[in-house]
Amino acid sequence: MLHLLRIDLKKMSSYRTFWVVCGLYFLTLGFGAASGMEFLKWLASFIDGFGQEININRIPLYHFPDVWLNLIWCAGLLKVILAVMVVISITNEYTYRTLRQNIIDGLSRGEFLLSKILTNVLLSLMSATMIFVIGLVTGMIYSPSLEWGRMVTDLEFLPAYFLEVFFFLSYALMLGILIQRSGLTIILLLLSQLIEFIITSNVDDYLPGLIPFFPMESIRNLITFPFPRYAFSEIRDYISPGAVAIVLAWTLVFNYISYRKLKRSDI
Amino acid sequence: METVLAINNLGKNFGRIQAVNNISLQVKAGQVFGMLGPNGSGKTTTLGMLMGVVNPTAGSFSWFGQPPTDHMRRRIGAVLEHPIFYPYLSGRKNLELNAMIKQCPVANIDNVLALVELTERQHDAYKTYSLGMKQRLAIASALLNDPDVLILDEPTNGLDPMGIAGIRELIIRIAAGGKTIILASHLLDEVQRVCTHFAILKKGTLIHHGPVHDVGKGTETVEVKANAPDLSHVLLAFPGTSSVNRENGSFQVQLREQYKAADLNRFLFEKDIVASHLVTRQKSLEQQFLEILAES
Repeated sequence: MLHLLRIDLKKMSSYRTFWVVCGLYFLTLGFGAASGMEFLKWLASFIDGFGQEININRIPLYHFPDVWLNLIWCAGLLKVILAVMVVISITNEYTYRTLRQNIIDGLSRGEFLLSKILTNVLLSLMSATMIFVIGLVTGMIYSPSLEWGRMVTDLEFLPAYFLEVFFFLSYALMLGILIQRSGLTIILLLLSQLIEFIITSNVDDYLPGLIPFFPMESIRNLITFPFPRYAFSEIRDYISPGAVAIVLAWTLVFNYISYRKLKRSDI
Repeated sequence: METVLAINNLGKNFGRIQAVNNISLQVKAGQVFGMLGPNGSGKTTTLGMLMGVVNPTAGSFSWFGQPPTDHMRRRIGAVLEHPIFYPYLSGRKNLELNAMIKQCPVANIDNVLALVELTERQHDAYKTYSLGMKQRLAIASALLNDPDVLILDEPTNGLDPMGIAGIRELIIRIAAGGKTIILASHLLDEVQRVCTHFAILKKGTLIHHGPVHDVGKGTETVEVKANAPDLSHVLLAFPGTSSVNRENGSFQVQLREQYKAADLNRFLFEKDIVASHLVTRQKSLEQQFLEILAES
């Protein structure tokens, strides 16, 4: 397993695009997550426009346990950058035909796919670790009290975030394997939220029960949009097992489709 | 002799197009096996199936007497069509990656780089290499694992005469080491020089296979020049003549079976004609190739 991961990382070792995109991703993730107070100031001035005033110091954006879900939801917006990198990595194998040579050299198609999936796991783990560290540091700085119980509350969203990123990277890998052209794949990847939204808003009129089963919707159900809790409403601050099951199922389906496609095609 | 590769009724359809049709042949250990055929005759598709990148639609094959597995391919060094590497990695890093895939010692890299004379450029990115260097790196990569079988598909494509000679020498040297080589090429001269056996494909069908040294056998052609005005009549009068052509001031006499150039020489002498030029033309693989293609 580790051997396959090392093979895929070796391919990236002198690939500047990969390092630039990954560097940008983790930088944006770090700085973005750490500049939540600036966001609050913007929010305050925005609400000011409606003739209301909020005291931003009373919004516990970075307090335990709120910090976890807040950071995780925001970090989820950036996963598409990582996904674009995954698309480039897999479609390069088709355009340079190196996939073909890898198989000729003695890798099985399953092993090739596994090496890509393992890289996805690694990238997802790194994202989750990064968010964990940022959450811990900012939480410790801003929280008025450092009770153990409050610190670990809502920490279950961290594995959910890992799942979210891995789900999306699996989706990107599958699109890349199915389409094999980087430009088209990236466009489809960026449009998939919108396409699904168009479909779901039509389905909504007839079979609203189906909506939670759509892939992008299942992510929204897994990690709830946290900010309404500071304005007017209660949010769900636990993870629904049903949502986990749906996301897991989609992740399996995506990777299985990749496997079937690779196994059956002439390369 | 051990059978390295056995192909049984192998076939491949791309939709309605029959790319490879019911091919059966065997390659024994130590043979240098030439695969010939016009463009689009199914050579690369066949090699692709043998190397696991094209799924056969019919038939089967076995390597080393066993059904093919993925890891078995590590014992086979292959370059199909053209060199394939990661352009942004250096030549050396590409080979390091291949060594990881083939699970062979990294120490081999220096040897193969030296063998193909790329040691000096090993740290430059692959995309900066000339075509000849890319071809040589591909051969280095195929040899990396000290394979039992080497598959080379047009290895001299796009090389200069020195490069072609270098690769020919390399193939002969590798073959002398007892390795089995399968060589697909358009350069029939090359195949005749280095191969022991050959097969001809046409439109996906195997139309001929056999040893290369059989090619020269069969009827002889004799090229004759002599200072005699009615030479063509005399040549036609010879009972062993099957046809006479005039070419570049000399006569090409195609002899019937059992007649040799010496018989013709004796006949001319008896007719008081002394040949100033008499050469037996061995049939080349190229002629044989064109004949077989025309017959089929």
